[in-house]
Amino acid sequence: MSEAFDREAFDDLAGEFRYVITDMICRSGSGHLGGSLSLVETVISLYWRIMKFDPDNPQWEERDRLIMSKGHAGPVLYVALAYQGFFPKEELKTINENGTNLPSHCDRLLTTGIDMTAGSLGQGMSAACGFALAARIRGQSHDVYCIVGDGESDEGMVWEAAMFAGHNRLSNLIGITDYNKLQIDGRTDEVVTLEPLADKWRSFNWEVMEMDGHDWDDIHDTVKAAREFEGGPVMIIAHTTKARGCAVVQDRPESHNIKVGDAEDFEKYMCALDCQDYELPYEVE
Amino acid sequence: MTDIPLHELEMRNVYALTLVDLADSNPNIAVIEADLGKASGTIPTFSEAHPDRFIDTGVAEANMIGIGAGMAVEGFIPFCASFTPFATRRVYDAITISVAYADANVKIVGTAPGITTGANGGTHMCFQDLAIMRAMPNMTVFSPCDVYELASCVRWMAEHEGPMYMQMIRPTQPQIFDHDYAFDPATAVRMSEGDAATLISTGWMTQFAQQAVAELEDDGVAVDHFHYASVKPFDEDSLLESAATTGHVVTVENQSVIGGLGGAACEVLSEKMPTRVTRLGVNDQFGEVATEQYLLDKHEMNVEHIKQACREG
Repeated sequence: MSEAFDREAFDDLAGEFRYVITDMICRSGSGHLGGSLSLVETVISLYWRIMKFDPDNPQWEERDRLIMSKGHAGPVLYVALAYQGFFPKEELKTINENGTNLPSHCDRLLTTGIDMTAGSLGQGMSAACGFALAARIRGQSHDVYCIVGDGESDEGMVWEAAMFAGHNRLSNLIGITDYNKLQIDGRTDEVVTLEPLADKWRSFNWEVMEMDGHDWDDIHDTVKAAREFEGGPVMIIAHTTKARGCAVVQDRPESHNIKVGDAEDFEKYMCALDCQDYELPYEVE
Repeated sequence: MTDIPLHELEMRNVYALTLVDLADSNPNIAVIEADLGKASGTIPTFSEAHPDRFIDTGVAEANMIGIGAGMAVEGFIPFCASFTPFATRRVYDAITISVAYADANVKIVGTAPGITTGANGGTHMCFQDLAIMRAMPNMTVFSPCDVYELASCVRWMAEHEGPMYMQMIRPTQPQIFDHDYAFDPATAVRMSEGDAATLISTGWMTQFAQQAVAELEDDGVAVDHFHYASVKPFDEDSLLESAATTGHVVTVENQSVIGGLGGAACEVLSEKMPTRVTRLGVNDQFGEVATEQYLLDKHEMNVEHIKQACREG
């Protein structure tokens, strides 16, 4: 869905996303805040400027696919899907509630618009290869996007898929690494370094592009270039900041899964946001 | 499919020929291998007949499962095969999440089950795949015993939606059924009637169970023998009805006695009709390089052991 770009409006939308995501997670008592906030601009860019889809026909065959392999970033995807009309925004407040359609990790059977279930890290890129192969066999022209985490990239299965996609020149596959440089136990370069990350993907026969994952122009231009590249799969390394916009946990590993024990905690996270004064898109008590 | 009688062919050839036949009329049938396509029989039979739908991931079984899941979500019906340990225990989480939990229509085939992988030894000898796959929600578990059942089972898998696992013996097997056989996972096949004991078998062991029953019959001992090609779903009614008459159940499988066919029988009987059970199979041990006969003898699951267990009822 391509819309005219209005920087101020997009900045405002990103602020609203962060406000709503943080509220949803705080309201449910806990959740993966950091990895959702790092992806806000990327996900908005995909759903507002790049991907083709039809909320009235979620299984439209010609739609672009998106596999959120770092399945714990469900919240940012849920907000995008709700705001694009895949399901009512009112549902957003049900995240992680008993019987919800919005579980902490992406579930294709529960949530309209989610293309693949993910949560056990490392598996989404293989599924994405399957999606890309299916399109190739059928002569379909849509793109397949797969967002992987940097910590997730410790998983060996990611590299099985990487080798396969490179060998098979899956040019309809675009990977995006959310490179916020943090994982649960600390900084990625201290736990198990990923560097040289770009060279790793290149050596697996992927085209590699890098972008500032919070810069609208850079995201748009890089993904556009990736779509136009026909020589094989493309990995976009998105340099991001974990928990971007929430000062108390921004760029800190504890943002991965925050616990919100009481009203004081709730207020702490909400007040720490650099964007305020948004109306929640759902009724709250 | 072929002019040669199926029972003269290797099981893996029939597997591949059946898939080719299915793929000829169904554009969604696909085969994914992890560098064991020759062992599974799909190279060259399927790979040459439908090269566009033959995928080889190399030695990357988890990737095979994940790719299968992605293709299945897009409407394909991928058959993913490897040796049983690598098709199941090595990739258990990938199957659990990307296939079963995601309800992806992936068909997983474990070849050379149990002791039939003899020369490859303990590393390749998986005695727990029936148990671990049975314990997975949204997964069905089959173990056909001959080519006719295999062909029918593969067709059934292709025609029915949902994650499935099937053990597949690779070489030629004695004929047990014929062209008229129709696989039905809901019902165990009654192989013989009797009241001395209830004998239930699955997969590769059914031929030995059948032989044991025939020899017992010569001695005037009639055994109620059922072949369970489907370990999950498990036909409880046949077992309960028979056990009510015989009062003793013998289970025999090319697996550990923990959690597979014997485990399934014990669960049903202990809850619904406590009955004495004798489980034949591998008793909580690893495999080793050895002939099938050596291992049948060592693990006390050969024809004589089956006969003895049935007599002890």
